[in-house]
Amino acid sequence: MTLKECYAALEGDYESVLSRLMTERLVQKFALKFLDDASFNNLVKNMSESNWDDAFRDAHTLKGVCQNLSFTKLFSSSSLMTEALRDGNTEEAAKILSQVKADYDQTVSAIKELTAL
Amino acid sequence: MSGVDKHRQKVLIVDDSEMNRNILSEILGGEYDIIEAENGAEAVNILRKESVNISLVLLDIVMPVMDGYGVLAVMNSRHWIDDVPVIMISSDNSVSSMRRAYELGITEFISRPFDALIVRHRVVNTIMLYAKQKRLVGMVADQIYEKEKDSSLMINILSHIVEFRNGESGMHVLNVQMFTEILLRQLVRQTDKYNISKADISLIGKASSLHDIGKISVPDHILNKPGRLTPEEFEIMKNHSVAGASMLEELTLYQDEPLVKIAYQICRWHHERYDGRGYPDGLKGEEIPISAQIVALADVYDALTSERVYKKAFSHEKSMEMIMNGECGCFNPLLLECLKAASEAIEKVKAHNSDENEKQRENLALELMKYEELSASEETLRLLDYERMKNDFFASVSNELHFEYTTSPSMISLYPNNSNMLDISELIAYPVDDERLTSIISMDEIKKLGILLKHTSPDSPVVSYDCKACLNNEIHNINIICRSVWNSKSEFCGAVGKAADLGIA
Repeated sequence: MTLKECYAALEGDYESVLSRLMTERLVQKFALKFLDDASFNNLVKNMSESNWDDAFRDAHTLKGVCQNLSFTKLFSSSSLMTEALRDGNTEEAAKILSQVKADYDQTVSAIKELTAL
Repeated sequence: MSGVDKHRQKVLIVDDSEMNRNILSEILGGEYDIIEAENGAEAVNILRKESVNISLVLLDIVMPVMDGYGVLAVMNSRHWIDDVPVIMISSDNSVSSMRRAYELGITEFISRPFDALIVRHRVVNTIMLYAKQKRLVGMVADQIYEKEKDSSLMINILSHIVEFRNGESGMHVLNVQMFTEILLRQLVRQTDKYNISKADISLIGKASSLHDIGKISVPDHILNKPGRLTPEEFEIMKNHSVAGASMLEELTLYQDEPLVKIAYQICRWHHERYDGRGYPDGLKGEEIPISAQIVALADVYDALTSERVYKKAFSHEKSMEMIMNGECGCFNPLLLECLKAASEAIEKVKAHNSDENEKQRENLALELMKYEELSASEETLRLLDYERMKNDFFASVSNELHFEYTTSPSMISLYPNNSNMLDISELIAYPVDDERLTSIISMDEIKKLGILLKHTSPDSPVVSYDCKACLNNEIHNINIICRSVWNSKSEFCGAVGKAADLGIA
């Protein structure tokens, strides 16, 4: 799978990320690094333990990373999550979490296809 | 920037996401040395140690432990923000948060998702701008310093010529200048009725050197006559005040110069008396300009405490007594109060200046004092860096634990060897909530110490506190000595201190 195809599979904006980070090498390097990023796992953990402040920061970090990498789909669900937690709306956040999980899985499996090359 | 620079500039990247830090270092790493911090407290700790060496900070807002605004608050309170530019990177580009960041002193605001080229351009531009500004500030400061030094020197040479003819030591001019400035500073503390600024003090001080230039017109045999002057001779002697003033008046080109105006007042009226019985014009009370009143008092004090052809030197105490009793003229009661209040400082200056060896050192200190209003130039930062290195060294070779505490944000910082010894982080944000710290000293003890510190005053700023601490699983007696610190607005803002282990309890 090419990097462009990977972005299509995770529903991201390849053109945008390429223009901002300038080279395909860099985009690929950081896309792969996303697999090691802990913010999603921390988010799930802190949500299950009702650590709302920490969960907010995790969602915020995840959102920021997705934004930088133009992972559009995961960015939009993690943004919703961030805003719900910022407003202290934990019930709403818990609902959105399943969407974030689904988008995260979609993103990660697309990137793993990239490593399979 | 050229690639041959031996010392590459350092950029501090503060972001809790490793990904984001990596992306930024990838973008900038080719041109700059990168230091990373994963939260605000870490960033503050790095800045504390090497703010001098950091050319720029890239700062995220939302972070654990201490957020970006917290970092900016510390950078403001420590004045690092004056020399280290900050670019904030955030996805929260609402007007209110951007405004808040700009108000806290950031240089640029970059919104996420950022564009690599734009980040690079802004970083390069900001660093160049600050470097250029630092160079310019340094150049201006140096030039002002040189210019001031030269003009003070010229005035001193000129007035020393007069003194020299008089057969007196050249110290008189310098003493009168220093007493004048001390008395003026005291006067400003006691009343604002004369509306005297810092610049006025330095100007009057400078002009005071010229108070006796009119003596040039007095013939040698009168000026240096050891015995009593005849009435005719005394009239000629007295004429020096008018003579000095008219010499200044004839400088037609410079009549609007503040220095000339003030020097005129001083020359003409430094022998007037507050009761109106002085010369040449018999001015009374506040008719005599304050500059001349002050120099007259400074002149009399120095004349009394110095040896002259016609008299021995009187002691400080005797001279003060003679002035207060009205034996040496009549002065503004308010100025006499100032003289009393500044008596100790004046006596000290006199004692120092009598010692020729001390003279040059004193001059230098005086010279430096005048520049306190100039902003901290790089040299001052280097000095600070040196002080920090010194402190770190002493802390590292001492068995005691040295620390600094600030109230906002609530933070304790330790020196590296101390923190290693105790296996605790160098920078402890919100100490009462810190698990490791409270496992060594109980939260109660920390709070009690905090309350004692808050109740100190600038007159008795030191607190000595005995308590127990858990070290290596054993209870020890420890003694903590702290000194409170107040900021420029006299608000309590923290403490410095050390803790000594007194052994197992």
